[in-house]
Amino acid sequence: MSVRKRRRSIFDIIDEYFENLEEWAEKFRETIIEKPSWDRRASTMEPLRDVMVTPDEVIVTVDLPYAEENTIQVKPLDKNTLEIKARMKRKVRFDDFGITHYDGEFQTFYCHTHIPVPVYMDKMEVRFKKGILEVHLPRKHEYEIPVE
Amino acid sequence: MSESVKIIEKKEVSPGAVMLFGFPDVGLVGVIAASHMISELGLTEVAYLDSKLLPPLIVLHEGLPHSPIRIFGNHSILLAVSETAISADVIYPVMHALIDWGKSKNVKVMISMSGIPVQNRQDLEQLKVFAAASTPEMLKAVQDKGIAVLKEGYMVGPQAIMLQYCAKMGLPAITLLAQCFFNYPDPQAAAEILKELANVTGIKVDISKLLEKGEEIRLRARDVMRRTQQELSKMKKTQEYDIPLYVS
Repeated sequence: MSVRKRRRSIFDIIDEYFENLEEWAEKFRETIIEKPSWDRRASTMEPLRDVMVTPDEVIVTVDLPYAEENTIQVKPLDKNTLEIKARMKRKVRFDDFGITHYDGEFQTFYCHTHIPVPVYMDKMEVRFKKGILEVHLPRKHEYEIPVE
Repeated sequence: MSESVKIIEKKEVSPGAVMLFGFPDVGLVGVIAASHMISELGLTEVAYLDSKLLPPLIVLHEGLPHSPIRIFGNHSILLAVSETAISADVIYPVMHALIDWGKSKNVKVMISMSGIPVQNRQDLEQLKVFAAASTPEMLKAVQDKGIAVLKEGYMVGPQAIMLQYCAKMGLPAITLLAQCFFNYPDPQAAAEILKELANVTGIKVDISKLLEKGEEIRLRARDVMRRTQQELSKMKKTQEYDIPLYVS
C-alpha cells in the first residue's frame, strides 16, 4: 500500500521553525546558566540582568548591589553586544557568605549582554536608581513594510 | 499524605499554629521574608520534606546535610521554606504533602508569602500588597484588614496550588503578594509582606535589619534567583501578566 505524504503548508513550516528556535533558545539559556556566577581569576561577579524589547527601544536592566555609581561603565562591544562593568563599594569574599571551601575576593561586577534587535548604540541613555542600572537603546527599524 | 513525599518530624509540633510558606518565586519575596523571620524570631527546624521526586540535592549547614525544603517553627508558627527553586513538575505533590501535614496539625490558617511583578517597580516608592483567599470568609477577613484583593487574573506557582488545594479541602488560606521585581531579589517587597502579615495575624517581626541589609541580601540571593528564573520560565510565570477571558 502506498502512503501519500501530506504536503506541508507554509504554516507547518513556520510552526516547526519557531519550535526549533524555542528549543535552541532553551538550550542556549541552560548553557549560559550552567556556569558559576563568579570568575575567581578575574575577581568578577556576574550580575543578574534582563533585556526587554519594546516597540521603540530595548531596555537592559542590571542589578548592581553595592556598586559605586561613578565607576559604572557601559560600552558597546559590537552592534549587538553591550559590556557592563562596575566596581563595588567593598570587597566581597566567599567567607562573607559562610563558604570556606573556595577562596577569593571580588570587587567588580562584569557581564556582556546580547541585544536581540538592531539598535542605535550611539544614542544610548543610562540611569542608575536603587542599585539597578537601566540602559535605554532606541531601536533601528531597518525594514519597514508599508501596509496598503 | 502523598506516598512520594514524606514530612519527617524532628520535634513535637504544637497544634493550632499559623502555617506560613516562603518559596522561591518572583523577587524571592517569600524566601527573603521567611529567612528574616527565622533569624528574627529564632525559629528552629521542626520537620523536613523527604522525596525522591526532588533533585539529588542537599544543603550543607555547618558541615551537616539538610533537606532543601524544611519547616521551622515555635509554639504558634510553622514556616515552610525552600532553599532551592522548586521544579514545576513537583510543585503539586510537594504542596499537597505540606498542606496535608499542616491539616493533620490542625493549623488555624495557611498563609503563603510571595510577590506580584510590576514593570515599573524601580519607580515605585510605596509597594502595595494584594491578597487572595481560599474561602469567601477569609477574603472578607483580609479586606476588613484593609488589604486590597487580587480580583481577577492568573496566579502561577506554589501559592496557586496552595489556594486551590485549600479551597478544595475547605481550609482557611491566604496568599499575600507584594509588588516586586520579576527577576531581581526584592528585600523591600519582603518587608512589606511582613508588615501585612503582622496586620493579618498579629505576628510582629522587626524589619529594620531586613531593610538595612538590603544590598547584602540582593548580592547573596543572586544564584537562587538565577535558578528560580529558569523554573519560572518553565512554569510560564509570565502568564500572570495576561488578561483573563471572563467565564461566569
